[in-house]
Amino acid sequence: MSILPSANLLRHPEDRRSFIEKCAKVSFGLSVLPFFTRIAEAAETPGAAKAPNAGLPGFGKAKRVIFLQLNGGMSHIDTFDPKTGASKGPGSIVSAKGDMQLTSYLPQTAKISDRITVIRSMTAKVGVHASAAYLMRTGFEQRGTLQHPTLGAWAQHFLGSSHKTLPSSVTVNRSSNHGNGWFPAAYSPLPILNPADGLLDTKSPVSEATVAKRAGLLAQLDSSFGGKATDESVKSYNEFYESTFQLMKSTDLKAFDLAAESAETKARYGKSKFGQGCLLARRLVENGVRFVEVAIGGWDMHATLDDRMEEVGGDFDRVYATLIQDLESKGLLDTTLVVVASEFGRKPSFEGGGRGHHPLVFSTVLAGGGVKRGFVFGASDEKGYAPKENGVSPGSLHATIAHAAGLPVQTDIITPAGRPMQVGNKAAPQTGVFA
Amino acid sequence: MRRLALFACLCLGLSVHAAPKKEGKKDTKKAEPVIKVVAPPAAPVAALGERPAIWHAWTDKEGQKLEARFCGLAGEYITLQSRDGRTFHFKTELLSAEDIAFAKTCVDRNRTSTFSPAVIASAAADIDRLVGAVLVANKQTLNAPATDEQFLRRIYLDAAGRVPTALEASTFLASKAPDKRAKLIDELLSSSGYTMQMFNWMADLLRVKDTFAKAVPAFTFEDWLKARLAADTPWDKLVSEMITADGRLSDNGATGFMLFDAEMPLDGVSNLMTTFLGTNMACAQCHDHPLAEWKQRDFYQMAAFFGATDGKDEAIGSAIKMAVRSDASLPKAATLKIEQMNTFRMEDSVKQKLTFPKDYKYKDAKAGDPVTPALIAWSKGEKSLPVYNVNTKNPSQLRDEFARWLTSPQNPRFATNIANRIWKKAFGLGVIEPVNDIDDLAEASSPELMAHLTFVMKAAKFDLREVQRVIYNSKTYQASASATPDLGKAKYLFNGPLVRRLSAEQVWDSLIVTAVGTYADNVLLRRGDDLKAMALPAGKVTLAEIKNAVDRTKAAFSGSGKAGPKKVGGGSTMGLANGYDGDKPVSRFSLMLARASELPQPSPETHFLRLWGQGDRLLADSATNDGSVPQVLQMMNGSVGKLVADVRSAAVMDATKEKAPDAQVTSLYLSYLSRKPTAKELGAASQSLADGLALTDLAWVLANTREFLFVQ
Repeated sequence: MSILPSANLLRHPEDRRSFIEKCAKVSFGLSVLPFFTRIAEAAETPGAAKAPNAGLPGFGKAKRVIFLQLNGGMSHIDTFDPKTGASKGPGSIVSAKGDMQLTSYLPQTAKISDRITVIRSMTAKVGVHASAAYLMRTGFEQRGTLQHPTLGAWAQHFLGSSHKTLPSSVTVNRSSNHGNGWFPAAYSPLPILNPADGLLDTKSPVSEATVAKRAGLLAQLDSSFGGKATDESVKSYNEFYESTFQLMKSTDLKAFDLAAESAETKARYGKSKFGQGCLLARRLVENGVRFVEVAIGGWDMHATLDDRMEEVGGDFDRVYATLIQDLESKGLLDTTLVVVASEFGRKPSFEGGGRGHHPLVFSTVLAGGGVKRGFVFGASDEKGYAPKENGVSPGSLHATIAHAAGLPVQTDIITPAGRPMQVGNKAAPQTGVFA
Repeated sequence: MRRLALFACLCLGLSVHAAPKKEGKKDTKKAEPVIKVVAPPAAPVAALGERPAIWHAWTDKEGQKLEARFCGLAGEYITLQSRDGRTFHFKTELLSAEDIAFAKTCVDRNRTSTFSPAVIASAAADIDRLVGAVLVANKQTLNAPATDEQFLRRIYLDAAGRVPTALEASTFLASKAPDKRAKLIDELLSSSGYTMQMFNWMADLLRVKDTFAKAVPAFTFEDWLKARLAADTPWDKLVSEMITADGRLSDNGATGFMLFDAEMPLDGVSNLMTTFLGTNMACAQCHDHPLAEWKQRDFYQMAAFFGATDGKDEAIGSAIKMAVRSDASLPKAATLKIEQMNTFRMEDSVKQKLTFPKDYKYKDAKAGDPVTPALIAWSKGEKSLPVYNVNTKNPSQLRDEFARWLTSPQNPRFATNIANRIWKKAFGLGVIEPVNDIDDLAEASSPELMAHLTFVMKAAKFDLREVQRVIYNSKTYQASASATPDLGKAKYLFNGPLVRRLSAEQVWDSLIVTAVGTYADNVLLRRGDDLKAMALPAGKVTLAEIKNAVDRTKAAFSGSGKAGPKKVGGGSTMGLANGYDGDKPVSRFSLMLARASELPQPSPETHFLRLWGQGDRLLADSATNDGSVPQVLQMMNGSVGKLVADVRSAAVMDATKEKAPDAQVTSLYLSYLSRKPTAKELGAASQSLADGLALTDLAWVLANTREFLFVQ
C-alpha cells in the first residue's frame, strides 16, 4: 500500500473510509491514523492544513485539557454569578481576588480567582439532564441515532495520539458512552469508574509463558470470527484486545496509580470521589494523556439547596482550588486548560428549598491554558435569568476549548456517513477569554 | 375458538391492505388506513377478560399450609405469592401430590388466553411476508437461514438470557425432530431464565434501582416486578399498576416506579411518556419543542394528571425526626432509613395543584395559572376515540384516568411503543428508531410491519411472552445475522437480526452458567421482607413503634446470624446471602455467582456488569454495549478471568469428564460457543493441550474470543 493515498480516494467518503479502516488497525498504541487523516483533510479542502483560527489569540496554548463536569446543574447564582434582590440565595456575596464577586460557598476558590476566567453568559435551550449533559459534553444537541464525539476524540483526530501507550483521553467517574462518536472505537476515552482503584487488572495472574501461549491460541481460534469480521463493533473489540495487550506490557501504567502521590498531596485533594478524580486527572495529564474528563454528581439541588451547597459545593471548592494551585506549582497551569462545566444553571426563583433547572443562562469557568487571569466574560441580567451580553452557546464553548487546544475550528471534516461536521458545531471560539 | 378464527381473519385482512410502501417517502396518509384496519375491535378484547388470580391454600408434604396465588412453574421450581405480597420460590416436589397436580392445571389455565400454534404460525408468516415485500421492493433479500448452532445460541440468549450449557447444546443439536426449534422456543419461554432476562430488560427501561432519592431502599419494587413477570402479567396491567399505585413501598411494591421521581414530578412525567409512549416531550418541559409539534402547554396539561399526586409526606418525616431526637440511643443510620422509607408514599389529594411556570412565555396560557388536564394526540381524529373521554372533574382520580387512557389498546402509541421495543430486543434495532421517539410513524423502516406488530401486541392482550413467541418463530428472526448497518445511509430493512455484542447481563449470566451450571437459574434474591420490617403501622409515629421497627429491621437484615447487607470490594455483596430464595448462591474470587437479575440493581460501578455497560438506571435505556480497555483487562486478568480459568468451573469439569482430548475440546466449545469446533480448531486446541496448556486455559481462550462476546 502506498503511504500517500490519491486525492481522488480522499474525496470519496466511501473509499476514504476503507482507507482509514486499513490504518485503524491499532488504537492508542500508534498514531498513524490521525496523521493520515490530517493529510486527508488537507487534500480535501485546500488551505485547511493551516487551521483558519491559527492566527487568533490563544491558539494552541493548551497542550492538555481537564474538563470537570458537574452533573445535575450547578446554580450559577449560588456560585460564580451572585445576585442581590429576589434572586439572592442563602449564601452571602463576597469580593474575591481578581476583581470578581463569588458567593460565600466558595471561600477557597475566592483565593485563586485571580487565575480564572468566569463566563457568566452561557446560554442553551435544553433543560433535561441527560440531553443537556450530552450537549455540554459534545457541543451538539442529541439527535436520533447519530453519536457525536467528545473533545478528546476530536483532538485525537486532528493531532494524533498524545502518547505512545497511554490513551489520549480518559473519563473519570463515568463510562465512555461512545465518546468516540463517528471516529474509530479506539478514540473512545478510557473509562476509570473509581479513581482510587486506578486501572485495575493490568497484571495477569498466570506466568508470562502461559500468557503468551494463551494469546497465540486465542489468535488462532478467533481467526474465523474475529479475524474475518466485517462488523464494525466486532472490529472495535479486536482493537480493544490489541490495545490491552500493548498496555499490559507498558511501564507507563504508573500514571494511573494514586498510591505514588505523597501523603501530603493526597490529603490536600481529599478522599471524595471528586478529589481523587482530580488528583488522577493531574497525574494523567502530567504523564501525557491529553484530555481528561472528571464527572461528579450531586448538583441537582431542587430541595435543601443551602445544605447541599455546603456539602457538594464545599467539596468542589476545596478540590478545585487545590487542583489549580497544584498545576501552577508544577508549572503545568499555563499549558493545561481546566474547564468547569455543568449542563445548565438554576432558576433565579426558589421553589421549596431549592431551584429548578435553568438553561437560559448559566456559568462555566476556565483556568490556565492561555486564558485571562481574574477575568469575567459576558454577563447575565440583574435577576440571573437571561444573558445580558456576549451569550456563549455550548457549541461556542467547545470551539473555544478546541481553539485553545490547537484544533482547526469552523473547518469541515467528513464523517464516515458522508456528512460534513465541525468541532463546536460551526460556532466561533470566544477569543476574548484569551490573554 | 371463535375468537381465534376472528384473529386469523384479521391477519388476512391486514395482508390485503398492507401493500409494500415505496422506500424513502414519508407518507403518513398511506400508513393510516393500515393502522385503522388492524385496530382490534372492542368485542373480542372485552371477551378475553382479565386472567383471574388463582388463590389457593397450598399444602406441603409436612402438612404446612399457605394461601397464595400461583405465579409460575419453571423446571423443578414453583413460584407463589401470598396475599401480603410475599413471594415463595421452592422445589415443586416439596408440595403434596394434589397440589403438584393443581399447579399443573394452573399452568394450563394461565395459558388459555395465549395463541394456538396455528395463530403463532400465521402471525409469524405475516412478519416474513411484510419484511419480504419491503426487501423485494428494495432489491434485497432475506439472509440465508441461520444454522442450528447460530439459532441455538441466539434463542438461548434472547429468551433465557444466557448461552446454553454443553449438555443443552448437544441435546438440541443432536435432535432430529422437525419442530425442534419451535419446541425449544416454548421451553425457554417458560424457563426461569425467561423471567430473569425480562427483568434485566425491563429494569433498564423502568430504571429499577435498589435505592432512590437519598438511599431509600426499593427492594419491594424489584420483588413485585419479578413476581409479575413470572406470573405473565400483561404489559398494560403492569404499567397500569405502576402508574396508579398508592401507599408506601412496604404496602405496595408497584409504587417504586412513581416514587423514583417523587421529588421531581415533572421529570417523572416526561420520563414515563418516553418509556410508555415513545414520545419525546422532554424539550417541551421548558419550551415549545423546536422540531416536533409539542408545545410547552401540551406538556403541562399532561403533567396536570399528576398534579393532585404527592409522593412525599414531609409531616411524617418530621414527626419521626422529632421522636428520634428524644432518644440518643437509637442507631442513626437505621432510623434515617426508617424515616425515609415511611416518608415516601403515593397519595392523591382533592386538589390539582400544578400551575404554569412563572417564566411561561407563550400566549396560549398565562404564567402562574392553574393547568387544566388534557391529553395529547398525534393526529386529528384521535381525540374522538372513546378512550379520550376522560373525567377530569375529580382530581383524586386523575392518575387513574390517565392510566386508563395510557394503557388502552385505543391509545395511539402505547401498543406500538412496546411492540417496537420488543422487536428491537429480538433484532437489535427497532422498526422505528430511536425507540424513544416514535411520534412520527412514517419514520418506520416499514410502517406496515410496525402496524402488524402493533396488531399482534393488541391481539396478544399485551402478553409480551406471546409476542416474542410469534417473533422467534418467524423466518426473519431465524435468518442469519447482518453486520451493523450504517443508518446514516439508509434504513435497515431486516434481512435478519443484527450481529450484536451481548448485553452486560448476557455476558455475565453466560459466564455464571459456565462457572456453576444451570443451578444459577434457581438462585433468587428476594429482599422485600427486609424493607417491610421498616414500615411503621399507619398513623403510629411513636418512639415505641420506631424502636420496634429498628429491632425488626436488625433481625431481618442479619438473618441467621450472618453479616448485614454491606457491600464487599468490587460489589460482591456477600452480605446479601440470606436474602436468597430457592438455592443459595456460591461465591468465588469475591464474586457472588448469581445471575444479574439477582444481584444489586444496578450493580456497583466497578462490578463487571457496570463495566460492560449495565446502565446506572438514572434514566430509561441507560445500558450501553461499547467496548473499553478496562473490560478486556477484567476479562483477561480480573476476578472474572480467574473464574473462567478455574478448575471448579462447571464447563471445565464437564470437559474433564470426557476421556478423549478431542471430546474435551468439543465439550468446551459447546459450553462457550454453542457449537462444535472445526477440524482446524480442534487440531490447534488439541496441539496446545499437548504443549502444556490445560483445559482451564482453553476455557479462558474461548471466553476471550470475539465470537463469545457476540451473538450472530
